[in-house]
Amino acid sequence: MKLSENANQIPVGPFHPLLEEAEYFNLTVEGETVVDIDMDIGWMHRGHEFISEQKTFTQSIFLVERICGICSTSHPLACVHAVEDVDNLEIPERAAYIRTLIGELERIHSHLLWLGLAGHFIGYDTLWMWAWKYREPVLQMFEVISGNRNHYGMMRVGGVARDVDPDRVKALDNILDTVDSKVHMIVKAAMDDPVLKSRLVGVGVLSREDAVAMCAVGPTSRASGVPWDVRKDEPGDAYGMVDFDVIVQNGGGVWDKLVVRLLEILESTRICRQCLEKLKTVKGPILNDVKEISAGEGIGRYEAPRGEVFHYVRTDGSNRAIRHKVRAPSYVNIPTFSASCKGIPIADALITLAAVDPCYCCTERALRVKGEDAGTIDFLTLSREKTERIRREIHG
Amino acid sequence: MDRSDRTDAFLQACGNKLSDVIRKRKRLYFVVRDEDLREIVRYLFLDMGCRLSTATATEVYDAIEVLYQFSHDPSGCYFCPRVRMTDKENPVMHSITPVVPGAEWIEREMFDFWGVTFRDHPRPERLLAKDHPNHLDKPLRFGRVS
Repeated sequence: MKLSENANQIPVGPFHPLLEEAEYFNLTVEGETVVDIDMDIGWMHRGHEFISEQKTFTQSIFLVERICGICSTSHPLACVHAVEDVDNLEIPERAAYIRTLIGELERIHSHLLWLGLAGHFIGYDTLWMWAWKYREPVLQMFEVISGNRNHYGMMRVGGVARDVDPDRVKALDNILDTVDSKVHMIVKAAMDDPVLKSRLVGVGVLSREDAVAMCAVGPTSRASGVPWDVRKDEPGDAYGMVDFDVIVQNGGGVWDKLVVRLLEILESTRICRQCLEKLKTVKGPILNDVKEISAGEGIGRYEAPRGEVFHYVRTDGSNRAIRHKVRAPSYVNIPTFSASCKGIPIADALITLAAVDPCYCCTERALRVKGEDAGTIDFLTLSREKTERIRREIHG
Repeated sequence: MDRSDRTDAFLQACGNKLSDVIRKRKRLYFVVRDEDLREIVRYLFLDMGCRLSTATATEVYDAIEVLYQFSHDPSGCYFCPRVRMTDKENPVMHSITPVVPGAEWIEREMFDFWGVTFRDHPRPERLLAKDHPNHLDKPLRFGRVS
């Protein structure tokens, strides 16, 4: 693209605190306005698909669990769904509730993680501290269930690896009470805040048409009025046996993505509560004995916190896949920046890029670009200054 | 219209262009000729409202195969058109990106890893191995079948 005389380019990445996975964005700006964005990925290709094809099905589950450090049960779930899809295998009812419980707890902690970082990016550090503080009990619940706060190692083809005994169900119930009350408080505080709303409404809008054309998934598409949710569309595990609503907003902006995630946290606590109740009464095995997988093809997917995780396996009757395709939700959500970032002020670029939740790095290493006046331009500072201006306008 | 009816309607509309149809619960895999691909994709994406989940290239003994996975979300059903290219050294097929903008990255990735050239792709360049330190002279995943 030929740059106009007034245009400048600002690189973001490949290593940036916004992005857990290294990616590169080149923003073209005219004055304060972003007029174009170019994306470049492939900085950290780890060969998971190829390695998985050298592993047995059970070994692959552990491998794909390490694709993402935040939502580490989404890939194993999609992977076992894909292998089970080859032979249309069913799983025991108790295993279905355990799978769903883990999946929804992961959604709560992932959305709280995003909420905290989003608050930090726009200068709401109280929200950040709250969200991360109350994420902690959710990680404790994982520890009670699996022994680990992350990488739980629970999924198996045909069920789950470990049961949750009655004492632990009771302990989980108690922790969920705490989580429930705190997330209700955070959600209400965030949604009722006039500064937060003024700061985020109409920012980085992704239209419904663009979301459909670019095949966006998860909260990114649901905030643009597209009601796609794997949990309802293809209700595997216990999703067909629990009551919950799919949250959809129509604005398409960062505020709508925030609202979708906040309300999804409440829906997830509802689902967790139902799963725990069922685990008190539904008894039986947790793992079916799967002797072999036939030659064939299988598609597995799961609604991860960021959207649909997709796995495809092609098998030849042996104990491993001859082709294992993995598609994470960020892969289809990141290209939506080409629609949502154009025309926005540069102070909104940071939160717009962050709004699809493309996995964050925990180390703050914001890019700084030298200005002509020997000063610096810092996305984080720009974003926080804009919030402060709105706060002063509202509160005086 | 339930899941079975949706599949039946698709087969009725496009059945004469499909071969090697594999019908499973919620899944329909079929082979299409390259010249019919865009018409099938238009029907799936524009008429039926399917969403492209992704596409998968696979090297088999006698061909490179590209399998597109279209999700029909209201019914939870997958429609998967497959294109087979027997010229493994120089696989060429039509891009579906002009119809489905969301296919841009995955087609670039398949060009990257399997060397598949997509005709009429708006941005025919590498995606993941663009700045690979090894200065690749052949696609990363090609030639893995023993």
